Amino acid sequence: MRRLRPETRWAYVFLLPWLIGLVVFQAGPMLASLVLSFTRYDLIGAPEFAGTANYARMLEDPRVSRAIGNTVVYTLLHVPLAIAFALALALVLNRVTGRAAGAFRTIFYLPSMTPYVAVGVLFLFLLNGQAGMVNQFLALFGIEGPQWTTDPDWILMGIVLMSLWNLGSTTIILFAALRNVPRELSEAAMIDGAGTWQRFRAVTLPMISSALFFVVIINTIASLQMFDQVYTMFFGNQVAQQSYGDAALFYVVYLFQQAFQFLHMGYASALAWVLFLVIAAITLVQVKVGNRLVYYEAEEHAG
Amino acid sequence: MTAAEPVRAPGRAGPARAAAPAPDPAGRGTRKVFFLTVLAAASVIFLYPFVWLVVASLKPRDRTFSDPFLPWPVPFRPENYAAVWDAAPMLAWLVNTVVVGVAAALAVTLSSAFVAFGFAYFRFPGRNLIFGSVLATMMLPAAVTLVPTFLIWNAAGLTGTQVPLWAGNLFGSAFYIFLLRQFLLGVPRYVFEAARVDGASYLDLFRRIALPLSRPALIIAFVFELKASWFDLMKPLIYLQDPALYTLPRGLKAVVDQFYQGGDPKWEIVLAASVVTTLPLVVVFFLGQRYFVQGIATTGRR
Amino acid sequence: MLRSSVGPDRRAAVRAATARGGRGPAAVTLSTAVITTMIAALAACGGVGSGGGGERSGGGASLTTMGFGLPDEIATVRVDAFKKANPGIALQINEGQFDEQAFLSAVAAGSPPDVVYLGRDRIGSYAARGAIQPLDGCVAEQDVPVGDFYPAAQQQVKYDGKWYGMPEFYNSIVLVVGDKAAKDAGVDPAEIDTSDWERLAELAEKMTRTEGGKIERFGFYPKLPEFLPLWAKANGADILSADGRTSRLDDPKAAEALAYAHRLVEAQGGWTKLKAFTDTFDYFGEGNPFVKDQIGAMLTEQFVVTAMAGTTPDVKITVLPFKDRQGNPVNNVGGNAWVVPKGAKNPDAACAWIKTMTAADTWIAAARARAAKRAQEGKAYTGTYTGNAKADEVIFSEIVKPSGKKPFDDAVKVIRSVQEAGFVVPQSAAAAAEFKKAWEDAATRVLQGEQQPADALERAHTEAQKAIDEATS
Repeated sequence: MRRLRPETRWAYVFLLPWLIGLVVFQAGPMLASLVLSFTRYDLIGAPEFAGTANYARMLEDPRVSRAIGNTVVYTLLHVPLAIAFALALALVLNRVTGRAAGAFRTIFYLPSMTPYVAVGVLFLFLLNGQAGMVNQFLALFGIEGPQWTTDPDWILMGIVLMSLWNLGSTTIILFAALRNVPRELSEAAMIDGAGTWQRFRAVTLPMISSALFFVVIINTIASLQMFDQVYTMFFGNQVAQQSYGDAALFYVVYLFQQAFQFLHMGYASALAWVLFLVIAAITLVQVKVGNRLVYYEAEEHAG
Repeated sequence: MTAAEPVRAPGRAGPARAAAPAPDPAGRGTRKVFFLTVLAAASVIFLYPFVWLVVASLKPRDRTFSDPFLPWPVPFRPENYAAVWDAAPMLAWLVNTVVVGVAAALAVTLSSAFVAFGFAYFRFPGRNLIFGSVLATMMLPAAVTLVPTFLIWNAAGLTGTQVPLWAGNLFGSAFYIFLLRQFLLGVPRYVFEAARVDGASYLDLFRRIALPLSRPALIIAFVFELKASWFDLMKPLIYLQDPALYTLPRGLKAVVDQFYQGGDPKWEIVLAASVVTTLPLVVVFFLGQRYFVQGIATTGRR
Repeated sequence: MLRSSVGPDRRAAVRAATARGGRGPAAVTLSTAVITTMIAALAACGGVGSGGGGERSGGGASLTTMGFGLPDEIATVRVDAFKKANPGIALQINEGQFDEQAFLSAVAAGSPPDVVYLGRDRIGSYAARGAIQPLDGCVAEQDVPVGDFYPAAQQQVKYDGKWYGMPEFYNSIVLVVGDKAAKDAGVDPAEIDTSDWERLAELAEKMTRTEGGKIERFGFYPKLPEFLPLWAKANGADILSADGRTSRLDDPKAAEALAYAHRLVEAQGGWTKLKAFTDTFDYFGEGNPFVKDQIGAMLTEQFVVTAMAGTTPDVKITVLPFKDRQGNPVNNVGGNAWVVPKGAKNPDAACAWIKTMTAADTWIAAARARAAKRAQEGKAYTGTYTGNAKADEVIFSEIVKPSGKKPFDDAVKVIRSVQEAGFVVPQSAAAAAEFKKAWEDAATRVLQGEQQPADALERAHTEAQKAIDEATS
C-alpha cells in the first residue's frame, strides 16, 4: 500500500464515521434494497428469487396507482399553497419591525413544534364533519362543511388543510431571505417610479429566488414522503383501517404496510426503489429548472 | 446568500435597514396598523387549535365537542390529567423520549462535528468526491432504506430495543456535517496553525478549538435532532414492541388506537396525552428559540 | 409503571455509550462508540436474513405476555389463579392492545413473547406463515379440556386440523334498540324484525333524525363494513368456502346484501356523515349513544350491552336477535384467543397459562368476583360470555340472577339464545391481513360511493383469492 502523508491519514480518521455510515446505512442498504426487490421475502422464511414479479405486480396493483394519485394530488396542492401563504406571511412580517416581528414569528413557528402524531390527533377532532370545530366555525356563516375525515372526496383536502397549519419553517426561511434584500435596491426602484407589484416582481422576487427554490424542493420531497400525520389519523388500528379504505393511502404509508404489516419485504423494496427514482428525477428536474430561474448574485457581479 | 457565509444572528440584516428614512410617515402608520391586524388574525388561526386542544383536554368526555369557541373549559375537569397516567405509562414514555432524544442528538452532533472538522481543516485527495457524497445523501429519502436498515438491526438482534432509534446517528448526518463545515470554514486558519506550532495534535485541534468555537452550530444541530427524534413515529413503530420502551409519539399512537379508534372512546385521555407529548417540546422551543430560528434560516441560505 | 424488566439496563447502555466521560476526550469516547457499533453492524451484515437473534439465557422460568391488559376483575382474578398455581414462574404482562406489526417483527427477530392474546380471526394466516406454533402437544400433555369450548370457537382456533389457540370470550352479535326511537317511529321495540328487509328500511328512515344537514339520530346502524359477513350470511351467502381455500366474495347474494345495507345507510344521510357522527359516540361511558338518543337501533357485540348494565343501568333499550331473511337468528361469533408464537422461550409455562386462563373453574371464579362487585355497587350483573360452554352453564344458572331491570334480564336470555346460532368465517391462510382487508375495503368503497357493490366485491374476490393462493403455495 502506498504510504499516505500523516495529515492525509488523519483526514481519513476524521472522515471514518461518515464513510462507515455511508457504506453501512446508505449505499449498502440501497444496494440491498435493489437486490431484495427481485425476491419474495417475508422475514420468517428465506428470501426466494422472484425476477421482476414485484415490479410487474406494482403495475397492476390498484392500490399503488391510488397511493401515487393521492400523494401527487396532495403534493400539487400542498406545495404551492404552503409557499404562497408562507410568502404572504413573510412579506407582512417584513413590513413590521422589531419585537413585534419576532413575537409573530414565534407564534407562526409554534405549530411546527407539535409532534406530527399530536397534530394528527388534534385534526382528527377538529375536522370531524359532524361535531368538529372547523365545521362548527363554517356553520357560523351558514356553510355546511364537508365530511373532512370520512368523505373520500374531502379527506385529501382535510389533510392539506392540516398541512397548512405547519408553515413555520417555510415562513422563517423566506422571512430571513427577505431581510437580506438590501433596502437600497427597493428604494432605488421606488424613485424610478416602480409600483409595489413591480418592485416585488423586479427586485424582491429575484433576490429571494434561491430561498424560494429551496423551499419548493424541501416541501416537495417532504410531501412525497408524507407518513406520520396520515398514519396516525387513518391507519395502524384495525377499526381505523377498515373505515377509510384507500382514500387516505399515501405512497410511504403503503410501503410501510407492505413491509411491516404484511411482511412483503421484496415488494416493499421494489416500492422503495421506485420512490427513490421518482424523487431523484423530480429533484433533478427542479434543480435544472431552478438553475435557469434562480438569480445568483455572484454571476451578476461577474458579468 | 453565499454558501460560505457563517451562521449569523437573524436580527441583523443589511446595514442599510436602520438608516432607511420613511418617505411618507402618515401612510406608513396606517399601513403598519393594517399589517399588524393581518398578523394578529393569522396568529389566532395558528394558536387557536392549541387553545382548543388544551381546553378540550380539561373537559369531561361528553363535552369534548361542545362549545368549541369557548376558550376555557366548562366544566373544569383537571382529573383528566391524573387519569392519563393511569391509562398509559406516560411517565415512562416521557423518560424514554428524553433518553433516546438526547442520545440521538448528542451522537449526531459530535459525530457530525468530527467529520465536519475533517472536511474543513484537511486537504487530501478525494475530498470533493467524498463531500459530494454528503450532499447527495441529503436528498436520499429515508423510506428507500427502510427495509434493509430494519434487516441490519434485526440481524444484530437489536430490534425490540431502543438502540436503532439513535445509534445510526453515530455516523454523522449529511445536513449537520454540511452546517458545521460551513461554520468551521469561517474560523481563520491561523487559529489552528498557531495551536499546531504549540504542539497540539489533530484531535486537540478538534477538541480544544473546533468544538468550542462551533458551539452555536453544535447547539443548532443538537436542538434540531432532539426535535426530529421527539417527532419520529416511524422508527419506534418499526423497532419497538414492548410498550414500556415506547417513546411519546409511539405511545400516543397506541393511545389513539385504543381510545379514539379502538371502540373504547376516551377522548379526554387522548387529548391529555397529546398535550403531555407536545408540552415539553414547546418548552424546549422557548428555551432554545434563537437556535431554532437561526438554524432554519440558515437552511435556506445555500 | 416502568414494567419492563429489560428497559432500565438498556437505557443505561444508551447513556454509557453516549456520555462524555469527564475530561476524557469526546473524540476518543466517540471513536470507541463508533468502532463498537461498526463491529456490531458489520457482524450483523454477514447474517442478514438468518433471523434468530441472541437468546438471553433465562435462569428460572419466566413468562411474557403480549396484547393483554388488566382492566378489571375478570382479568385479575384469573391471573391471580395462575400465579397461585405457578409460584415459580416470573410473570411479565406487557399491557397494551395487540399490535400486529410489533408482534410479527418480534417473531422475525427471534425474541417473541411466550404467549399472545389476539383476535381469533387472525390465527389462520399466522399459522400458515409459521408465526405461531400448534398446541396439540400442549393439549395432550396438560390435558386441556378442549371439548368444553363452544363448537364455533373450536372451529375458529383450529387451522389445517391442528389446534393453534384457545378461545377466551365468545362475543355474539345482537340488535340493540333504543325504546324512545322505536316509539317515536310508532313501533313497539319488541316487534322489530330484521327478516323483512323492506320494512326494516322504512323503519330505519323513520327512526333517523336530522337537523339542518346534521345527524341527530342514526336510525338503524348496520355496522358496515365490519359486519359484512353477517349481512351476507343473513342473505344466505358464505364469503369463504369451508376449507378456507376459495373466496366466495363474488356470490351475488353477498353483493345483494351489501347493496341493501348500503341503501339503508344512504337513506339515512349517507355514510360519510354517519361515520363522522358515530366517531363522536361514547360507547362505554355514561353519555353512551342510547342514553343520548343518538342511535335508533344498531347491530353490536353483546359486550356493549353488558357494559351498559354497569354504567347506565336505567337506560331504556330492547335487545333482540338479528334474524336472517327466513326469520332464523344469525350470529357471527368472535373473540380473542391465546396463542404461542414460534420461538417462544417457555412454551410449557405458556401452555399452563393458557389452560388456566380458559378453564371453566377460573372463569367461574372470575364471574363470581364480578357479580359480587356489581352487587356491592348496586348494579346489575348480566353475565360473562366466555368461550367455555361449561363455564357459561354455571355462570348463567348459578351466578347471574334476575336484576329486576327488565331490559337487561331479557337481554341475557336473548344473548344466550343466539349463541347456538353462532357461525364463524372459516380460517384461511390469508385470513388476518389480506382476506379481511379485501372485503372490508370493498364494503368501504361501496359506502363511500366509489364503486358499485357487485364490482367492489368482484375486485375483493380477485384480491382475496390471489392472497390465499400465494399464502397457501
